[in-house]
Parts: sequence; C-alpha cells; structure tokens
Amino acid sequence: MESILAYAIAILAAPLFPGIILKVKAFVAGKKGPPLLIKYYTLAKLFRKGSVYSTSTSFLFRMGPAVSMAAAVMALLFCPLAGMIPVLSFQGDVIVVFYIMGLGRFFTILAALDTASPFEGMGSAREAFFSMLAEATVFMVLILFYRLNGSLSFSGYFSGDNPITLTGPNGSLLLLVIVSMFMILLTENSRVPVDDPMTHLELTMIHEVMILDHSGPDLALIELGAFCKLIFYSVFIAHLLVPAKALEGPLYDVVFVVAVGAIYVAIGITESIMARLKMNLVPKFILTSFALVSFAAILTTMGFI
Amino acid sequence: METFLLALGVLLAGGVFPLLTHRLFNFMKAVYIGATVCGCGIGLYAAGISLRSSEIVSISWPWLHIFMLSFSLDSLSAFFLIPIFSICPLAALYSFHYMNKGQQSGRTAINLFFFTVLIISMALVTTAGNIISFALAWEVMSVSSFFLVMYEYQREATRQAGYLYFIFAQAGAMFIFAAFAVAYSHTGSFSFAQFAGIPAQVKVLIFFLALIGFGSKAGIFPVHIWLPHAHPAAPSHISAVMSGVMIKMGIYGIIRIYSLLEVKDLIFGQSVLVFGMISGLLGIVYALGKRDIKKLLAYSSVENIGIILIGAGTGMIGVYSNNAIMAGFGFAGSLLHVLNHSIFKSLMFMGAGAILQKTKTRHIDQMGGLIKRMPLTGKSCVIGAVSISGLPPFNGFIGEFMIYFAAFEGLGVKGPTAILMMLAIISLALIGGLAVTCFTKVIGVAFLGEPRSDKAASASECGFAMTAPMVVMAAACVIIGIIPEPFINLVFLSLRDIHGFSAVPPDVIAGLARNLGLAARLILALLALSLILQRICYLGKEVAKGPTWGCGFTRPTARMQYTGTSYAMSVADFFRPFVKVNTVYSGIKKIFPRGTTYTTRVDDIAEITMNQGMVGPLLKVLGKLRWIQHGNIQLYFGYIILTIVVMLFFI
Repeated sequence: MESILAYAIAILAAPLFPGIILKVKAFVAGKKGPPLLIKYYTLAKLFRKGSVYSTSTSFLFRMGPAVSMAAAVMALLFCPLAGMIPVLSFQGDVIVVFYIMGLGRFFTILAALDTASPFEGMGSAREAFFSMLAEATVFMVLILFYRLNGSLSFSGYFSGDNPITLTGPNGSLLLLVIVSMFMILLTENSRVPVDDPMTHLELTMIHEVMILDHSGPDLALIELGAFCKLIFYSVFIAHLLVPAKALEGPLYDVVFVVAVGAIYVAIGITESIMARLKMNLVPKFILTSFALVSFAAILTTMGFI
Repeated sequence: METFLLALGVLLAGGVFPLLTHRLFNFMKAVYIGATVCGCGIGLYAAGISLRSSEIVSISWPWLHIFMLSFSLDSLSAFFLIPIFSICPLAALYSFHYMNKGQQSGRTAINLFFFTVLIISMALVTTAGNIISFALAWEVMSVSSFFLVMYEYQREATRQAGYLYFIFAQAGAMFIFAAFAVAYSHTGSFSFAQFAGIPAQVKVLIFFLALIGFGSKAGIFPVHIWLPHAHPAAPSHISAVMSGVMIKMGIYGIIRIYSLLEVKDLIFGQSVLVFGMISGLLGIVYALGKRDIKKLLAYSSVENIGIILIGAGTGMIGVYSNNAIMAGFGFAGSLLHVLNHSIFKSLMFMGAGAILQKTKTRHIDQMGGLIKRMPLTGKSCVIGAVSISGLPPFNGFIGEFMIYFAAFEGLGVKGPTAILMMLAIISLALIGGLAVTCFTKVIGVAFLGEPRSDKAASASECGFAMTAPMVVMAAACVIIGIIPEPFINLVFLSLRDIHGFSAVPPDVIAGLARNLGLAARLILALLALSLILQRICYLGKEVAKGPTWGCGFTRPTARMQYTGTSYAMSVADFFRPFVKVNTVYSGIKKIFPRGTTYTTRVDDIAEITMNQGMVGPLLKVLGKLRWIQHGNIQLYFGYIILTIVVMLFFI
C-alpha cells in the first residue's frame, strides 16, 4: 500500500521537478524565471484544448502518445522509490523495463514518421540512432550490477545483504556509473548537450521535432510520459548517490527526495554552462559513457575488486 | 510414427494432385490447400503426441539392399516439426491469391508440387535417424527449394540468384557430407548413435565441418550471401517458408550434431556464440542499409539466426560449466526464438509480397501511406515489426529475454566466459536497438506517411487468402507474447533429449514464465488505460484536420518525406569499417546546375571479399582450363575411361 502511494506521488510530482531545472537556469542567467509549478499549468492548458490532426496520419499517430505514456508509467512501477519497495518486482525486471521504454520509443518514432514531414523523419532517425547507443551503456550498467550484486531487478540492487551503494566495498566503481548514467539521462531525456528542449530551429532538434504535429491532450500525454521517464532515471541515480543503509525511516526518504532534486539542479546547471553538441559529436558523447562503465565492468572480471 | 507417415502421405497426395489437374486452376489450388492443411494438421498432431510421451519412436526400412533408411522422432525433432507444419499451410493458403496468373497454371502446378516436396523433405530432415536418410532428405530439400526459387526463370536476376543459391546449397552439403564421411570412417556405421564414441580431436573436426555446412543453410555470416539474393527472387510465400522455416534446418543440424557428438568442450559453445554475435550485428546493420524490402528481410533473417546462435552458444557454454539455468535458458531461448522467428519473419515476407503484388515494386522508397490503403496487411505488419524488434508485449521479447537471462547467469562463471557473456549481452542490446531502427524504417517508410509513387497511391487491400494467414500469424505473435507459459514449457519439454542437458528447476521456469506473462498483460492494460484516458480527454473537444506542419513551408510534396535511405544512413555510417557505403554524387556544376544525381548503396563486405578473393582467382584459373571443354563427345568418353583406369591403381 505504501509503495502504491509512493508511486502515485511520484507520478503526480513528476511535472514539479522540471520546474526546478527552469528555475536553476533562470537563476544562473540572472532572471526570475517561470513559477515552479509551470509544468502543471502547461499540462492543464494542453488538456483543455482540442487537436488538429494532419491528413497524412493514420491511427498510429494517435497511438504514439498513449504508448509512450504507458511505457513510462510502467517503468516507474518497477522502480523502488525512496525507502519503499517497488509496486512490482521480479528477477529480470530491469530488462523488461528498458525494453518497455524501447516500445515507447518505437511508437513515438512511428507517430513521427506517420506525419510525412521531413523534419520529423530526421528527428526520428537521430532518436533511433542515439538511443541504440545509449542502450549499450544501460546494459553494461546492468552487467556491472549483476557482477557486484547478482541481481537482475531494481529492488534487488538496492536491498538485501549486498546492496549496491557508494559506501560499499565497490563504491569507487559507482562513481563511474553515476557519471555515465547521468550522461544517459541527458541523452534519453533530450537534454543539453545532446538535444536542446528550448531550441527554436527544427533542423537542430531531436525529440522536440518528432512531436511537432502533436497538440492538445496528445501532447500532454507525451509530456507527462517524458516527465515520468526523467524522474525514473533521476530516481535510479539517486539510489546510487544515497547510501542504502546509512539512514533509516522518514529521514532517508527526505534525503532521497533532496538527492532527486539535486539531480535536477545538476541538469539545470549543465544546461546553463554548456551548449548543445554538434550532431556528429553526440555518438562520441554516448560512447564515452559506455567506455566509463565498460571500464568498471572489466575491472570486476580481472579480480582487482 | 504412423500418424507422422500418414501426414506425409496426405501431403504427397495433395502435392501430386496439381500436376494432374492444372487446367482447372482455382479448383486445383483449393484442393491442394485443403490437402496441405489436412496433412500439416495431422503432422502437428503427431509432433504433439511425441512431445507428450517421453519415448523416442523410430522406423526403418532397407533401401538398395545395402543401405538402411531410418527415421526417428524425438522431442527435438518434434519441436522443429511445429514451425514446419504450422507455417507451411499458411503459406499454401497465401499462394491461393498470390499465384493468381491463370495463364501460368502449369508452372504454378509445378511450383505447388515442389512446395510439397520441400515440406516433406524438411519434415524428413528433422526426423532422419542415420547418415543416409539425413543426406537424402537434405539434398531433396535443397533441390526442391532451388526449383521454387526459379519460379520466374525468364528473369536474368532470378536465374542468377537461383544458381548462387544452388552453389551455396551444394557447397554447404559437401561440408556436411564431409563431416559425415569423417564420422563414418571412425565408426564404420551409418547410424547416428555411434557418433558419441568418436575420438575427441576428430569430433572437433566433424563439428566444425558440419558448422560450416549447416551455417551456409542457416545464413551465418559470412556464408549468408545467398539469402539476400534468393529471397527477393523467389515468390513471397516461398521466401516466407525458406526464411521462416527452411533456414532453421541449419540450426536444427547444429544443435543435433552437438547433441549427437556428446561434446562438452568450451570451444564449441564459444565459436557458435561468436558466429552468432557477428551474424546478429552485421545482419541487422546490412538490413538497415537495404532499400529492397525483401533483401532487407533476408538480412534480418541473418540477424535472427545470430540471436538464435547466441542462445545456443550460451547454452553450450552452460553445459560446459555445469550451470543448469544457463544451459537450459540458453537453449530454450534459442528454440523459442526459432519458433517466434518462423512466425514473424513469414508474416513480414507475406506483407512484403502483398505490397509487391499491389505496387509492383520492392523499393521501399517508392511505397508509403500503405496502411490506409491496405489496413489488414498494415496492422499485421506493425505487430510483426514490434515482435521482430524483440519488444514486449509480443513474442520476440520472450525468446530474447530467456537468452538474456542465460547470459546474465553466465556472468557469474569464472574465466573468459564472463567476458564473452558481456559481449553477448551488449550485442543483444545493440541488435535490439538496431532492429528498432530497422523496422521503424520498414513500417514508417513503407506503410506510413504519404504515398511516394502513383502505384503506391493506387494500391488496395489484397484478397482474403493473403490477409488471413497474416492476421493468423499476427495473432500468434500476440498470444505467445501475452500467454507465454505454455510455450516456455513446450521448449523446455523439447530440450529433454539433448545430451548433457540437466533439468532446470521447474519453479524457476514457472516463475519466470508467469512474470513475463504478467508484465506483458500489464503493459497492455496500461496501454488500454491511457487510450481510454486519451479518448476521455477528447470528449466534446474540437478536432480538426489539416496538413502536416511544414515549418512554414506551405506546398509540401510527397517526395520531401524522409527516405528510408537517409533514415538509415547515419547508423550505417557508424559501422563503416564493416559496412561499405558507396556514394556516387555528380556534384553541382555551372551557374544553373541540372541533372544532378546522388545515389548511395550499402555493400556487403562478405560478398565483396568472396568476389575478389575467391570467385575472381577461381575464374582466372578455370578460364585457363577451358580448352578441356571442347564439345567433342568421344573425347569426353576418353576422359571417363582415363579416370577409371587411374582409379584402378588405387584399389
């Protein structure tokens, strides 16, 4: 029951956190910035509206938002939130979760190609390419965690006798994982330096250009899905940041939420101090994250750790 | 076994029928389909009996006084009979509307006859109990499929593809027979049962000879070259069966020879795994670079064979390291993927055939917008594409998940195995990502958006005999995905007779199957919920229609759409050392440039290497020997006599 409550809170709070990113960016730029609840206002506005559908599109265009939303919501089900156990968990659920996200991407790409727009085709080609590379990093992380912990589920990683934590005997390896998972977070959620959610030129976009033709509640569903996905990755990293057994009870939960917030602040700072990478540098950026984790994983096979 | 023979009898009767009645075109096809469906139904029943009872039934009779033909049906054979007997009748049904040229009734009848021969020979390959019967069935299978590929023999490209296939089939068979010959020279018997007693070093030789031979049938990189030529040349239901079912006979051969030799050494699993990873990765990268939809699907078969081999290799390594879970799930995932691939690949080929019939083109960049014009074909193909990309909640994911599970289990094994397993997992992940790219391209470019040519714009849905098999297969993809328990139990049941395989704890299998089913049903439920939410949000809202947002440009044309080639190019480019991207660009000249051309093509390095390294020098040498062939019959007889005389010295 507790976990279902936490799950509901996570979904409801998901639109809050991107507001933090905007505030941080505004603060760095010396501006006042939009209100913290801006994303709720946006969602409410979108849900009130109707839609314009392109005459080129088919039923797949309408399915895209629903699938990407369902996939993101499903991923959160398996994710332990703060000190709670996840709603669902079984050996191998990590593979299911990352493949479910792949399903969401599959239909987002199809919806984009359904519009017959060259820009959206270009965006989907980039999305497919970059996420393919990101998948390699994610699975390398899973390999490393399996070597450290022998588990294949999110709840198994952070609980039990041998949890994955910074203060554990292999904590140093986790520093590499944290950095590369943060890079994957930026990639998968279309943040700077991979993609710029604020850009106004269709040619330079990745994710934003794929959803150009979606409007009204459809767009709201996509946005909500994106917020859930972002919070999923942030929670994942927060689990690595906050040592599992150092604190107990409500204090742990508070620290955990602060850690999640800190990750959003870090995204905001990254966006403020960096420009978007040139498109041909993005694969190198993702491969860097892959190299970092591979390094850690190979160390475990050589008997050093 | 009698039921099995009855099935073959019914099939054969159905196959001979068209030869006698080809003048009554539709009647012939209808009776043929009826007989094939009946025969395959009986065959499935026979396979079911064999899977349920644990005894191995066999039958044998003498042939030419000196040979024994023997056939036996164990659980592994029975499993491979399932795709044969379930996909082939669907393909036969499909041919009813696909082979619709009444004026070619004679040729169609011959095609149907050879199709039956192919079904029977595949069934015999899986049940062959000794060297002689295996070799016979294998050759009949290769030759009958050669005739099926050659259906449109008037076309130059078809003939070339057919000959290429024939050379590969025969060269592959040569390796298999060489393996058998080596085995025979050590056992002195045609029976498979004595393979286990062969000395260990010889076993290595036998296994690798057989691996090359079976690999060329299965389409393992680099001996996959015939696939992308033969599949586009053959009629689509033939490509469906060849790609979905026949190439699996190569996989059957590899697993069977592994089980017969009773080998455990690491080298076998390692090499199968490495070949699997190479085939999987390069297969899907080439598939991505192709514009011909049937070529693309052929390369995707190479990829799926790769996934199957990754599973089998993991299983073999599991047997070596006495890890029951790794061995069990490796082999089981591999076999389940055999079944799954036979379903979704046949589905995709039939979809390609439907498009080909309506648009008269295989060029993916000439299609577009077909899902509105061919809704049933389109929807089935979307399900097929999601399944073939290995995404939940459909069947492709179940098999891949089991292979992942085995490979992760293998990470705990000491030594170099852990590194190999890491590579296997990363390859599977990359293959998954690339397959998503590849099949979003197929669906997105061929079925979605605006039609890119007049023929695509005027396409219409094809006949029920073509859509019905596709719908059935799409339904099968969904059912295996959301109710995986019986199918997972089925593959574990069929592993029973593999040597060196120890039982996996049933609670692990049951738990995993239950969880996978739960996850698949959950995502479907969530999807239904969000679709309902979406519907509610639009209640009473204004929904307008308009043109696609062209970023300010108001006169878009269908030719402005992103092409499949550009969609795939950045990925193909990324794999450049292994993929040759050929670009010809005329450049822009003068102040008012005209006639600018830009073509780009992705070439297969295996094919280039084979052409340059083998075919070229071979032609050079053989060209010098051409004087031997002068057309003088008397001298040819002289050659024969000379050969016999020389041979006499060796006796």
